[in-house]
Amino acid sequence: MLRAGGLTYNPAGGLQVLGGGAQQLSCLHTSASLESKNWERRNLKVYPPQLPNEQRRAAEIHHSRRQIKYSKDKMWYLAKMIRGMSIDEAIAQLEFNDKKGAKIMKEVLLEAQEMAVKNHNVEYKSNLYVAESFSGKGKYLKRIRYHGRGMFGIMDKVYSHYFVKLVEGSPPQMEQKTSFDQAKEYVQSLKNRTIIHGL
Amino acid sequence: MAMPMRRTLVALQRATYGNFKNAEVSLDVQHPVPLFLPVRTKKRYFIPPAVGMKGKGEENTEAKARAAGIVFRQQYFERPINIACTAGIFDPYVPPEGDARLSSLSKGGLKQRTEQIRQSAASQLAIRKIKEHDSEFTTKDFSERAQEIFIEAHNCLTQFNKEKLHSLVTERCYPEMTRGNRYKTICWRFLESLEPPRVVHARCPDMVSKGNLYGQVTVRMHSKQTLAIYDRFGRLMLGSEEQPKDVLEYLVIERHLVNPYGRWRLHGKIVPSWAPTKDPVIKTVMIPGPKLKPGEEFDALNYSVPKPEAVQWNK
Repeated sequence: MLRAGGLTYNPAGGLQVLGGGAQQLSCLHTSASLESKNWERRNLKVYPPQLPNEQRRAAEIHHSRRQIKYSKDKMWYLAKMIRGMSIDEAIAQLEFNDKKGAKIMKEVLLEAQEMAVKNHNVEYKSNLYVAESFSGKGKYLKRIRYHGRGMFGIMDKVYSHYFVKLVEGSPPQMEQKTSFDQAKEYVQSLKNRTIIHGL
Repeated sequence: MAMPMRRTLVALQRATYGNFKNAEVSLDVQHPVPLFLPVRTKKRYFIPPAVGMKGKGEENTEAKARAAGIVFRQQYFERPINIACTAGIFDPYVPPEGDARLSSLSKGGLKQRTEQIRQSAASQLAIRKIKEHDSEFTTKDFSERAQEIFIEAHNCLTQFNKEKLHSLVTERCYPEMTRGNRYKTICWRFLESLEPPRVVHARCPDMVSKGNLYGQVTVRMHSKQTLAIYDRFGRLMLGSEEQPKDVLEYLVIERHLVNPYGRWRLHGKIVPSWAPTKDPVIKTVMIPGPKLKPGEEFDALNYSVPKPEAVQWNK
């Protein structure tokens, strides 16, 4: 890695270039990655007033919970399950799921629904669906795991974040392709083959 | 996840000097004893920092900082607070019933006018007191100035110009005007004034200690305005841009008279008990229902939504 001038680490703003020229700026990132709450900041965006003939913009509510004592991989399964469901359906499914993460996710969804009605001018609390839902890695704590013969390993105490975006309206219907349609498409693609630069 | 590693925790053993092989100690003291350095001195184990963390004595850090020469600013446990406005409206003006509906020429209107003049004995005293402190105070000029302050304040509200809004509106009125509005867009327009504004009431209360005078003057305004509030996504929440409304308002303007830098600022509004109900929000809102005992059922047909009492309130 080439050094341009001198690179120092500033905990507030990532890497900084001291003096020197701005030749090697490809390794520079300016956002502090440890405490940035970008997902919550998306709730603060204000759109300009709509004209009366425009289509009514759907309300979007971003919510998250940080540092959940659960694995991000195990959380992913639940997050993938509720993607695209309406909020009532999602809450019902999570209520009767046996996993630990399901209880936490249900609380997050209920909080987000309440926030939507109170703060974001959503009219009907059932008229929401889960547009995006995913999990991320939180900050881990490290501990020692003792093995035999004086051996040891570093144990990670695992934490995860959970993010969800609710959008007003009914959930979009995924197009269901029948097997006959897929077969037809395959045959059509075979028929479309030509010989290029041929006579 | 625990990954077993080849390195071992031999560091504790190395702390003892048993492994070092000393060379033969010669009787000749002039030559230094050649020490054989042990070969593997590199630290090859890792202990996570969380293991060694026990609560550090807090006095140590403070004493160390002082010894190092760092000087702390003196910490005050009291902090002076400057109060520049009163907490409410003292002795609020009670607007007569049907104020804007009867004109002054009819019999009912004349009765109202005479009542108003009778009410104003205390107001005249207050106005005299205000004139002691502020010699250029006249009711005619003041009512026009009040209207200007009102229009300026609402224009600042639409543009969210906080500094100017603080100078036009008291600290008590500011949160009432701006609460919940941060992520909304407000479009407000003042079209015209239907009647010239009039000073109807004045009081001079003193707060905390005697002589700390504040002047509160109530101004009556009848005007045409349009108001439209859009939520975070640009959707109309309340009102409309094109439809103007006739608004009868009683504004309370306040000033800290004793303070030479005090200014007349909007302090609040009085909403009379007979005021017409406002337009509803463009949204269905859920009202909490009655509290049911276990086993009771909610009877939707016989249940009537409780209406709030018609009371005069200050905003």
